Amino acid sequence: MQHDISYNILDESALEQLIERIPKRYDLAEKPACEVTRIFLDSFDWRLYSGGVRLWVEQKHGATALWQTGVPNTASSVRVDKSKPVPVTADDLPSGALRDKISQLLEMRVLLPQIEVKSSVRTFAVLDDEKKTVLRLSLEESQSRTPGEGRYVACGSRLRLQPIRGYPEPLANINKIIRKQSDLSPVTDGLFEQAITAVGGELCPYSSKISFTFEPTMPSVVAVRDIHLHLLNIIELNVPGVKKNLDSEFLHDLRVAVRRMRSALTQVKGVFSKADVDRFKARLAWVGQVTGPTRDMDVFLLEFEQYRACLPERFRSDLDPLYDFLVSHQQIEHGVMVKKINSPHFRTLVKELRLFLENATEQSGALEAGTPIAELANKRIYKMYHRVMKRGQAIVDDSPAEHLHDLRKECKKLRYLMEFFRSIYPQKKIGRLINSLKRLLDNLGNFQDLEVQADKLRDYARQMVEEGETPHDTLLAMGMLVDGLLTKQQQTRSEFAERFAKFAKSDNQKVFRSLFEPNNKKGKG
Amino acid sequence: MRIIGVYNIKGGVGKTATAVNLAYLAARSGLRTLVWDLDPQGAASFYFRIKPKVKGGSRKMLRGKKELDDLIKGTDYDGLDLLPADFSYRNMDLVLDESKKPAMRLLKLLRPLSYEYDLVFLDCPPSISLVSENIFQAASALLVPTIPTTLSLRTYLQLLEFVNNNRLDHLKLMPFFSMVDRRKKMHLEIIQQLPKRHPEMLASHIPYASDVERMGTYRKPLLDYAPRGWAAQAYEQLWSEVCGSVVCQ
Repeated sequence: MQHDISYNILDESALEQLIERIPKRYDLAEKPACEVTRIFLDSFDWRLYSGGVRLWVEQKHGATALWQTGVPNTASSVRVDKSKPVPVTADDLPSGALRDKISQLLEMRVLLPQIEVKSSVRTFAVLDDEKKTVLRLSLEESQSRTPGEGRYVACGSRLRLQPIRGYPEPLANINKIIRKQSDLSPVTDGLFEQAITAVGGELCPYSSKISFTFEPTMPSVVAVRDIHLHLLNIIELNVPGVKKNLDSEFLHDLRVAVRRMRSALTQVKGVFSKADVDRFKARLAWVGQVTGPTRDMDVFLLEFEQYRACLPERFRSDLDPLYDFLVSHQQIEHGVMVKKINSPHFRTLVKELRLFLENATEQSGALEAGTPIAELANKRIYKMYHRVMKRGQAIVDDSPAEHLHDLRKECKKLRYLMEFFRSIYPQKKIGRLINSLKRLLDNLGNFQDLEVQADKLRDYARQMVEEGETPHDTLLAMGMLVDGLLTKQQQTRSEFAERFAKFAKSDNQKVFRSLFEPNNKKGKG
Repeated sequence: MRIIGVYNIKGGVGKTATAVNLAYLAARSGLRTLVWDLDPQGAASFYFRIKPKVKGGSRKMLRGKKELDDLIKGTDYDGLDLLPADFSYRNMDLVLDESKKPAMRLLKLLRPLSYEYDLVFLDCPPSISLVSENIFQAASALLVPTIPTTLSLRTYLQLLEFVNNNRLDHLKLMPFFSMVDRRKKMHLEIIQQLPKRHPEMLASHIPYASDVERMGTYRKPLLDYAPRGWAAQAYEQLWSEVCGSVVCQ
């Protein structure tokens, strides 16, 4: 299959020159000029772009169509219903390979307009002796802007050669002529990339992932300040999406950033003064608390289909009242949460944090502020690792659940520390340790989450009864779910010993020692 | 991938116009659509201005030496491709007869295209032959344009008998009235009577209209040059019926 070929073109005179040089055996028919508006869509964290897919809505001659590139075995364009021209979720797309791929990439995220491109298009059909179109040449002059905002900015002109299947010769012939024309250079970026660059935007501007590059000798305060600022940026960037309740991932990312920041604040000791740490610690914990109930509802809604699938087919519809309860209460909890996020308490916290971080220097007087970051990271990671090992080794088959929950907290702290300072260590070795820790954390996480979910379901059942008439069948179906969750939790518990043993194996211990043991020079990169 | 045959034992009933216009509407709705012009007269190829020529002819193609994929031509419309006719198709029966499982040959050739197309229209030559048997095996539905005359009805009954006698249970017959002239009493009577005996008749009628005949002058689907005429609207209705009962199931 042949693909479009595009060239940068400065002005129409280059096109006129090209037209003159097209062999006489082809006729050219100019189509009526038109204006095309394209709105490119992606999730907030650019999942489609990262997955190699571009999706856009195109308006031409008053008709709207959805276009895509990057999803094989599916149409490049689909006409869309005028009543819902811009899809928001994968479910708004027609069924088939396109929807499957987009849904797989987006997961729970919604589509947001990322950039708007307006192009004036002149098209010429290259015709053979039957007057059949065998190639299309078009000149597109484009301008772009952030969707719905401000003025358009020019983002270049391009000459597009659009081949027609089964007619390779005209494309090859005309492309050969163009390549000889010095004022036309092949386009390397797609229209989407050009449009983003023209408005001063960045490709993939947001990621919730942690990735820092620190020099081992860097003063600790600089590294730790960077970590906090990055996390604060994530919090602030997600606030608008959280308020609008666009999708559950905004709140999830915000909460993870808050959790990481609390961990960094308390675990990387001595870099900031104790008074400053105390000033922010409790207030960050408050953010975790006020956002918790909405997240709980989100988790249930995200996993609702899985819950339904756990029940035998004939009982599945009994869960419908639970779904309605979750949807309405998610909205109620969301409203309560937004009030807290709009409160002066939250706004002052964010403002004060930024002011504090931007002014944090070695001169702040804290004990470890000037310590090289590698030294401090070794100390903190190694200490936390010991704590994890001690707690983990103390757990036996009949240890109470709290012991596992406490171990999970320590493991999380250890994971965050290792992720923050990953760049200081040999990547392969630390990567292996983080993965091993993640596998242990999965087990501990499932163990606790299943219990929390079972408890929550019982709470919801009581609440539903209090609020009105809940069918008995719904309560029975919820009981079946609780039973399933607790059975699964027991199964997870029985797998703990093996998971911990894998994490604590002597190979890992050696690597932990060689990487983090203070004053151990072996194995450090 | 759904395969729809457009067929009638009788010629000149509007088969090609149906295949071309419905394929145009299918592609416009976003379905990746292919028309296979199986009629050696090559009318569908003519309407799309594509030369009725297949490299190596039907023999090479049917023996699988030339993949269908390499023979497909893009039309002037996005998402709509054509497998052109070739004069050698007039001997297709003989070549099919030489192959193993001759009645299943077209289906076998079409299978690899299932990742590329959502819908295939087979524009079939008239008469009952090994080619039409292949079409009956490959297609899941057969659109049968039927002129409301006694002779046309007779050929429809012949087809019905053939389908029933040859265990073609998978094949959904979808006859519809074509070239309807509302000035003719006989047309009106048959349109009124026949659906009672044959409830499988579709509700849409394609009128006898000069708009349709002009496809040969414009060499385009009717919906492209006269989208607001009666005939175009009739094809739109027919497409929505076909789409609802075969394609979008």
